[in-house]
Amino acid sequence: MSTPTIRDRSFEEEALPLMDAVYRFALRLSKSPDRAQDLTQDTFLRAYQNWEKYTPGTQAKSWLFTICRNLFLRREERKKRHDEIVTDVADKDPRQISREATVFMAVRDRDPEGEFWRQVVDDEVLAAIDELPAEFREAVVLSDLEDMSYQEISEIMEVPVGTVKSRLFRGRRILQKQLYEYAAEQGIVPTRASGDATGVGGESE
Amino acid sequence: MKWVEELRRLLRKVRQEEPTECAPGGIPCEEATARTFEWLDGELDPEMEERVGRHLETCARCYPMLVFERSFREAVARIARDEKAPDELKDRIMESLKEEGYSSPGASRE
Repeated sequence: MSTPTIRDRSFEEEALPLMDAVYRFALRLSKSPDRAQDLTQDTFLRAYQNWEKYTPGTQAKSWLFTICRNLFLRREERKKRHDEIVTDVADKDPRQISREATVFMAVRDRDPEGEFWRQVVDDEVLAAIDELPAEFREAVVLSDLEDMSYQEISEIMEVPVGTVKSRLFRGRRILQKQLYEYAAEQGIVPTRASGDATGVGGESE
Repeated sequence: MKWVEELRRLLRKVRQEEPTECAPGGIPCEEATARTFEWLDGELDPEMEERVGRHLETCARCYPMLVFERSFREAVARIARDEKAPDELKDRIMESLKEEGYSSPGASRE
C-alpha cells in the first residue's frame, strides 16, 4: 500500500464525510437511486482527480455539489441550462410572491400554527420535493435540506442570488400547496365546508 | 397656552396616520411578510434582521404566519438527517478511489 499523502489526508477529512450529503443531493436531482449512486461515485472520483484545484478549508460541500450537478446536467444533455430560467419566476420580486394566496391564508382559521406539517410523513415530503420542477427543487433541496446560504446556492446553480431567492420562495410555496392538499386528503387538516383543498393558488389576494 | 394644545392635537393626528405606530421594527406588515423566508434563513443584514425579527415576533397579525412558516421549514429539514448513502455505495467509492491511487490515512493509522 502506498503512503498516504497530505492530499489524501485532506481528501479524507474534507470530502469523504460528505458522501451522505452528495448522495442525498444526487437522489433529489435524478430521482433515481441507481442514477444517484452512479452520480455520487463519479462525483467523488472526479473530486479526487481534481483535488489540487480545491482550496482546503473552503466549502467542500459546495464544490462537491457543483461537480455532482454538472455531471447530472451533462448526462441530461441539458445544453441550454443557463437559459433555462423560468422567466416569470426569475424576475419576480419576493414581495410579489408573498402577496399571493398562501397555504397559511387558507388554514389560518383552522390550524394557525401549522400543526399539520408535523403530521405529514417524511416520504410524502420527499415525494412532493421530487415533483417540484427542477429549478425549484434544486433551490429547496440546497437550502432546506442541506442548509446552504443563498450565495453558495447561487454559485452551485450558476444564477444570481435574486434568482435563487425567487426559485426558493416559489418552490416552498408550491411544496406547501402540495403537502397541504395531501394533508387535506388524509384528513390531517380539515377542509372548509366548501372543500377548498385547491383554494390556494397563484392568484393574488 | 393654546398653540401648545394645538401642536399636541396635530401630533396625535400625525401619529395616528403614521404607519410606524402599527409597524413594529419600523417596517410595515407587507415588508415583514415578504422578508420572512430571508429572516428564517438568516440571510438579512444585522440591522434588517433585527427590525424584521422585532416586527414578526411582536406583530399580532404577522406572528402566527411566522410560527406557521417556521413549522413548515422544520418539517422539511428533518427529513434530510435520515437519508444516508448505502454502505455498498460507500465501499464501491472507496474501491474506485484506491484504484486512482488514494491511500486511506485512516487505514494506515490503524
